[in-house]
Amino acid sequence: MKTTLLMLINGLLMLTAMNAFASDIKIIANTSVSSTTISVSDLKSVFLLQKRTLRDGSPVVPVLTKSGPSQDLFVRQYLNRETEELQYYYQGLVFTGKTSMPKQLTSDAEVVEYVSKTKGAIGYVNSTSPTEGVKILTVLSEESKFQRTLLKRMEPEYPEALKIRHITGNVRLLLTISPKGSVENVEVVGGNPIFAETAAKAARLWVYSAAPSQTKLEVNIAFEPGP
Amino acid sequence: MRRSLILLIITWFCTHTRTLHAQEFKVLDRQVQVHGFASQGFVYTSANNWLTMQSASGSAAFTDFGANASMEVTDRFRIGAQVYDRNLGNLGEWHPSLDWAYADYRWKPWLGLRGGKVKTTIGLYNDTQDYEFLNTFALLPQSVYPLDMRDTNVSHSGGDVYGDIPLGARGGVLSYTVYGGARSDSTYSGYPYSLRKSAAPINLSSYGGTQYGADLRWQTPYPGLLVGVSRVNQHDEGHGTFIPFWNPTEGTVPYWTRTNASWINQYYGQFSKKRLRIDSEYRRTYVDALAMNGTSTASFDVRGWYISGSYRLMRRLSVGSYYSHYAMTSVYGGILGQVFPPRSDTSLPQNHIYDKVVSAKIDLNRFWNVKVEGHFMDGYGDGPYPDGFYPGDNPKGFKPNTNALVLRTGVSF
Repeated sequence: MKTTLLMLINGLLMLTAMNAFASDIKIIANTSVSSTTISVSDLKSVFLLQKRTLRDGSPVVPVLTKSGPSQDLFVRQYLNRETEELQYYYQGLVFTGKTSMPKQLTSDAEVVEYVSKTKGAIGYVNSTSPTEGVKILTVLSEESKFQRTLLKRMEPEYPEALKIRHITGNVRLLLTISPKGSVENVEVVGGNPIFAETAAKAARLWVYSAAPSQTKLEVNIAFEPGP
Repeated sequence: MRRSLILLIITWFCTHTRTLHAQEFKVLDRQVQVHGFASQGFVYTSANNWLTMQSASGSAAFTDFGANASMEVTDRFRIGAQVYDRNLGNLGEWHPSLDWAYADYRWKPWLGLRGGKVKTTIGLYNDTQDYEFLNTFALLPQSVYPLDMRDTNVSHSGGDVYGDIPLGARGGVLSYTVYGGARSDSTYSGYPYSLRKSAAPINLSSYGGTQYGADLRWQTPYPGLLVGVSRVNQHDEGHGTFIPFWNPTEGTVPYWTRTNASWINQYYGQFSKKRLRIDSEYRRTYVDALAMNGTSTASFDVRGWYISGSYRLMRRLSVGSYYSHYAMTSVYGGILGQVFPPRSDTSLPQNHIYDKVVSAKIDLNRFWNVKVEGHFMDGYGDGPYPDGFYPGDNPKGFKPNTNALVLRTGVSF
């Protein structure tokens, strides 16, 4: 009976984790991109081919996946369009000579490989995809006007029940940071909900550099068991 | 021979679309991209021949294609060119044209320069009107984007200054294009055709002049909502030959015409949310010209508007509908004024076209689509600024209403 219950809980946890995995993405960039963050408006401008540099002057080149859940989610969430409409948008620009068609690859692995090898490349992949050789950019919400440096970071506790079952995942949090640097509020905006509580608990203790006004910042916390 | 070759190319496209993709290669260590498109249509009308086709008998004389190559020389500097060819009834007649060819330097997101032959930015679709694959509809609303008058405003030889100005998180983005240059109509386009087929035939050998204007569009902070305004000014001259109908014994003599005023005002809005897109545009075209070697004056005022909606039902199936409203008035003076009375009553079928349209588009794959469209037209608007219906193509006269079935298939890569 106990074994059956444990298997049931285990199965539910796995199912929850997998559902969450299919609905989250992370923004990756070539290591030549000096910035560690990107604003939502910059992300939109870069992928709509209106902008070729980030606010810090880093030149960037967008790379997309041709189709799939990551593509659909990214296009809807950050570009406010449907995948098909984005394709028509690109074609309209290409056939009037205003730009070249951006690179479009077939899988997350290809995107990671391309981004790792191409200077200035910026792309997106499923949050569960391995991202060796690239850097992950934190997406700043529109309200963020000032760069914040993380001064004190508390690592979240990895729940033992998940750790021993090798369940991994990410949690995306929207932090409201006071002018003095303390985290005033934490909102879970995406990722695997089974890690949300522990991630939020840790993030409340983080301390950022001071700024003239309150700032909102989206952060991604990864849960991966160590070796 | 040329027609067979075109059909062969289209057949090849249709059988190889699954393997189509943009071609890329390197020249001087720079990436060159090659893209292309082609479409074939069929039109059947219940009455009146339309768009210079013998459509009342069913016509497939509705083919176009284009190909372009472009290269990013640096991050900011790019060059490219596109060739376009079409055969639409008696227009185009397989005479290829250089659609655009220019160099583009984008110094900043808010400031770029283009020079060469450039697609003219007017309203939502003037610069992309040839690319049927971008839209649910087989034909864009003809009151604003008349297929037969395509050459009139589609591009100019000159330069553009353009850019996007972000207005902050709560202000949206303002995009501008300011341009100037020269327009040169093909003698195979709608206006020269209308003169050739008129009661007093005129053979234009050239028509064009200076053209300048601007477009300002605001991507509002409200997601998916765009509004804009465009203005074009033109000073055109036409030259050719004709036989003066008031003195035919003179025989064929040189002909000239010149505009005193010629402009377009266009206002537009677009709302898109998820799978829904709603467009609406209003275009007013006004021309006042000296005609018939200065013996006459001709002025016409065309007001067209439409509202359209399209919805993607499934990944590969979209449906749409629009209402297109075209109304024209005209006044002649001098010798022409003695022959042609003014047209001022837009409720008459010869001065308007009210077109109700339903359409469906199926994307067979990423590169190939098929469209089926029904048009239900009230009026035939056969005045001096043609909008699809030409007296010369309908020698027995017009019937007031026309229904049309349009089938169109297109490929792009």
